[in-house]
Amino acid sequence: MYARAMGKLPSAGPVTATGTASHNIHGHAIAITVFSTIKWWGKAVLPVLFAVTKRVPKLTETLVQLSFIHFARWSVIKELPYNGEPQTKRKLRYPHMYFESNFNGGWEEYIDAFSHILTSGMAAFWGSSYGFPKALPTAPFKKYIQVNETEASHYYSAYPDATITMIKGALDVDEKLASLKRDAAKLDPAAFGTAYQRFLTEAQRSL
Amino acid sequence: MSSKNNVNGQASGFQSMTPIRPGEEHDLRAYLEAMHENGSPLARLPRTHMARFVIVENFHNDPSWGQRKEEHLDLWYLIFTSNLDGDIDSYLDELCEALAPEAREIWGRCVGCPEETKGDALKAYLKHNQIDCGFFYAAYGSSTAAEVEAALAQRDQVIAFATRVQGLSDEELQRSFLAEFGTT
Repeated sequence: MYARAMGKLPSAGPVTATGTASHNIHGHAIAITVFSTIKWWGKAVLPVLFAVTKRVPKLTETLVQLSFIHFARWSVIKELPYNGEPQTKRKLRYPHMYFESNFNGGWEEYIDAFSHILTSGMAAFWGSSYGFPKALPTAPFKKYIQVNETEASHYYSAYPDATITMIKGALDVDEKLASLKRDAAKLDPAAFGTAYQRFLTEAQRSL
Repeated sequence: MSSKNNVNGQASGFQSMTPIRPGEEHDLRAYLEAMHENGSPLARLPRTHMARFVIVENFHNDPSWGQRKEEHLDLWYLIFTSNLDGDIDSYLDELCEALAPEAREIWGRCVGCPEETKGDALKAYLKHNQIDCGFFYAAYGSSTAAEVEAALAQRDQVIAFATRVQGLSDEELQRSFLAEFGTT
């Protein structure tokens, strides 16, 4: 088994060369956490948008193809549960959107890719947020993300040494290797040699 | 929103947002930032893929953005999110036992946290403060963390094996393969 993550955080200082705050990093995994305040109409539109995005896989195809996002979530916070004094019992004036992503690569490259490739998706998800400057050009958008971003105090990945490409590759190898494992003992040596070479050819892009 | 939005494949997304007791904010931050020094306690939860603790001080208000009125948080808040395997309920059962040694230092600094920072009491507190996902994306939501870790280890094993067996005859190759990967 891959050793579960027990390593220390990289000691890259407050911000790395790729623009990522050091507490947002665990190995290859990087955290981004962004709050934005939503306009009144976003409260009605966003749940519909989320539901449609979930039900139409084509809409997330690009996200899948980008292959650098492990997990991401968008949540609309309309109220904060009350826990007693000294918390104030009140309704939020505006809904707020919480966004987090778990990705690999640098912060700058991540935002660039998001802006250039997911331009319309970004406009749909953040279009109802106050101050959203459009995904392109990237400079104002990066500034917008920076002012709304909060650094994690602790970030953990179970497999910090792995990029998403490695993970998808490993899962692909596992699937392809399964049939060879199953048949290996039943084949004569020549047929096994052929099957092994076929496996290597099919799996080589994942290795 | 419904709890179905917290699910993608077999994976689930959990999020809680709890108010931090005034005066405890900086100690909590220091504690969380130091947690990696002895290995993350989240490693004791084998169903966790990725998780984070974030302290939010306030909402961002910018007068140039056309927001009619400013909005501020009354207190600082602690956000905990986890991308996990299976259902949230049983995951919280595990979390509230496995993280009991740290929970007093973490949620114990939050408003309304029960005196006993473990088990059912802590679970009820976290569920009370749960924020449902609107949209949850998982790139490999059908695979558990254990499956991912095993596949990664096997991929390394295959690469090493392929390098090692170059030039072997078919008989030797088959024997080596069976010794390395066994049969089913």
